[in-house]
Amino acid sequence: MSDVKNKLATKNENTWCPGCTNFLILESAKRAIAKLIEEGSKQEDFAMATGIGCHAKMFDYLNISGIYGLHGRVIPTCLGMKLGNPNLKVLGFAGDGDTYAEGMAHFIHVARYNPDMTLIVHDNQNFSLTTGQATPTSQVGYKNKAKPLGEFNTPFNPIKLALASGTSFIARCDSKDMMHMAEILEKAMKHKGFSFVEIIQDCAIFNKGNKGKDELMYKISDNSDSDVARKLAEEWNYNNEGGKIPLGVLYQEEKPTLEDKWPQLTELKEKKVSWKNK
Amino acid sequence: MRLNILIGGKAGQGINKVSEIVSQVLIRQGYFTFNYRDYPSLVRGGHNFNILALSEERVGSFESKLDGMVALDEKTIELHEKDLKKEGFVIRFDQFEGMGRNLNIALAGALIKILGIDKQVLIDEIKKQFDNDETIAAAEKGFESAESKFDLKKLDNNVVMMTGSQAVAQGAINSDIDLYLAYPMTPATGVMHELASKQLDNNLMVFQPENEITVVNAALGASFAGAKAMVGTSGGGYDLMTEGLSLQGISEIPLVVYLATRPGPGTGIPTYSSQTELDVALYGGHGEFPRVVIAPGDPIECIEKTNEAFHLAEKFGCLSIVLSDKHLAESEFSSDRKPNKNLVVKVKRKVPGEAIVKTSSYEHDELGNTTESGEIAVVNAEGRLAKYDKIKEECKKFEMFKIYGDKDSKNLVISWGSNKTVILDAIAGEDVKFLHILYLKPLSDEVQKEMEKADNIILVEQNVTGQLGRLLREKTGIKIEKKILKFDGRPFTSDKLREELLKLK
Ligand SMILES: Cc1ncc(C[n+]2csc(CCOP(=O)(O)OP(=O)(O)O)c2C)c(N)n1
Ligand code: SF4
Repeated sequence: MSDVKNKLATKNENTWCPGCTNFLILESAKRAIAKLIEEGSKQEDFAMATGIGCHAKMFDYLNISGIYGLHGRVIPTCLGMKLGNPNLKVLGFAGDGDTYAEGMAHFIHVARYNPDMTLIVHDNQNFSLTTGQATPTSQVGYKNKAKPLGEFNTPFNPIKLALASGTSFIARCDSKDMMHMAEILEKAMKHKGFSFVEIIQDCAIFNKGNKGKDELMYKISDNSDSDVARKLAEEWNYNNEGGKIPLGVLYQEEKPTLEDKWPQLTELKEKKVSWKNK
Repeated sequence: MRLNILIGGKAGQGINKVSEIVSQVLIRQGYFTFNYRDYPSLVRGGHNFNILALSEERVGSFESKLDGMVALDEKTIELHEKDLKKEGFVIRFDQFEGMGRNLNIALAGALIKILGIDKQVLIDEIKKQFDNDETIAAAEKGFESAESKFDLKKLDNNVVMMTGSQAVAQGAINSDIDLYLAYPMTPATGVMHELASKQLDNNLMVFQPENEITVVNAALGASFAGAKAMVGTSGGGYDLMTEGLSLQGISEIPLVVYLATRPGPGTGIPTYSSQTELDVALYGGHGEFPRVVIAPGDPIECIEKTNEAFHLAEKFGCLSIVLSDKHLAESEFSSDRKPNKNLVVKVKRKVPGEAIVKTSSYEHDELGNTTESGEIAVVNAEGRLAKYDKIKEECKKFEMFKIYGDKDSKNLVISWGSNKTVILDAIAGEDVKFLHILYLKPLSDEVQKEMEKADNIILVEQNVTGQLGRLLREKTGIKIEKKILKFDGRPFTSDKLREELLKLK
């Protein structure tokens, strides 16, 4: 394992803050990818897109192909990679600002297209890289430099939205639990269709008011019942009001993927070629 | 001989079918045609009209006075009677009571008779398009009801008819396009429809995502993954894409953009034409990076220039913009010229799946790693500048401009895009030289030489500020004082343009 995993590292200097849990997300992603490589995938077959933000520095620390894209556009960039070569294993690393603010439309529509790709949202409930402004998942009352009066709006619940949009794989992880993340990321990448992994990634510097969730978290076994999924989604409302935070595969279902629906892409997949070599 | 015939009615009555049938018949008879489509932004009702020009010689415009009128409703007559010549003919809808949905076919039949073309040619065309007796009977009834007024003998010109949209699609297919992404927006939508209808036969894919932001970012993702990708849009959609264009600039992922314009700002006049987007085509997207902006003037050039756009994008990892407008995209042009030799476009770069390839919206080193180094920033900025020089060198292999008319004349008309064909019609036989600029960026150095040779320069554009004029002043230092600018969304008519040009000569 460690040899394969070492090849996934880069020599770039890491600029995350000391104590940032993005380090653990990086490590778990490497482990999950290494696992797939050991099982027969090629390192060259992986491609990623990242947004802009602290999360996006994954790009410089992970040695796979990719585009360090635009803020908010992780999903369309990944979607394009799948359109361009359906044989690629595509990963998107995005922030909560990225996904739920700037790029919200894509989050809903990609569930309909259901491309065989994985979206990982590093949800730290604030815009960290731009120094802590509120995002759509920040709790009410969160005071920051842009909103000294505090956030007025209730956070929205990405798990509920993902369910309502028809996302075919929905999971939630805690960024402090590296082994669990690695396990879930592997499942997400092995899922046939669009998989969404929401990682609660508390920032060491900003939005310290959203801490204290550890005792609320508990792990569930993989779920594929939609009624159960809806109840699980309701257990926590992202608003510092207690409740329980279920972690694990909250919902999974098999349905036709983008690649299944388009004959052109099905053909490329069957022949195991890209457009370039069609 | 040259005739201008207006065909008018409500949206949904089938006026396009009339001009299509008649044009096809005329083309088969060896005539040149030009068909202008004028329609408001609605689906049923209102008032639509086409003006079909026909000639024994090349024609690429219509005139302000009409030789005939085919009216599918009373309003057509009310609105356009003033433009009818004294001896002009009218074919009225109420001559064919009870024809129902075949009214347009009967009117087409009557028009063919007036033009003095054989009934059999008409019937052959109808049979090609419809396979039912009722339609054929309607065409025959129309034909029998009219009197011949002209005698259009068969000619041996070999003419094809095409819209700019069809031609851009053809140019993309000739370039072996893999993926076309677009969100519907008039007048760019024609290319999406055309390619979508041909996708399975040509092993390509047309994808319409949720918005233009996805269009451009997904196109870049796909191109990065090894597909030859093109996007299509008009002004508003282009604005939404500009951040993506800027990402193209730094990531150097090949991208072809088809930008078909209509009058803005805002939603403007969506189903009419303009040349208001040259500025944004040249400058849209933040940061400084190389790009190519090419504006074909007719469908054959659309085929050629779209192919060149793909070639340049792939060869240099650059942004190629093919700039058109509603007039070129949706009018039907006839031509007897064959396109230049097609360039084979191949993806030669390494793509994911074959190697680890990284690129970025951040300033980055050659491996794709993010950098904030001042030295690398300078090297990269200078690299982008140097790339533009190479692109410019490569473009010299292509027709970056063309000269028409009296090559020794000191009167120089300068224009670009879809004005080409109407200017050719307007200057026929006059002491005028016409410089049609195809490459707006890079601009050929020859353009300045041509301008310096002239005593009298007249700029023709379809916008209010003379965008090409400003570009030429920036590049050559020469300010063009005489301008013919039109910005009502309607195309120039060749006779009126001729009058205006002769006044300024
Ligand atoms: C179009 C655009 N708007 C704004 C920005 C500035 N910006 C950079 S990072 C960022 C926020 C990132 O927040 P998030 O996505 O939550 O990532 P985090 O830093 O928290 O990981 C913003 C707004 C940008 N780069 N692009
Ligand atoms: S600001 Fe927060 S999210 Fe960003 S690197 Fe520091 S700890 Fe991590």
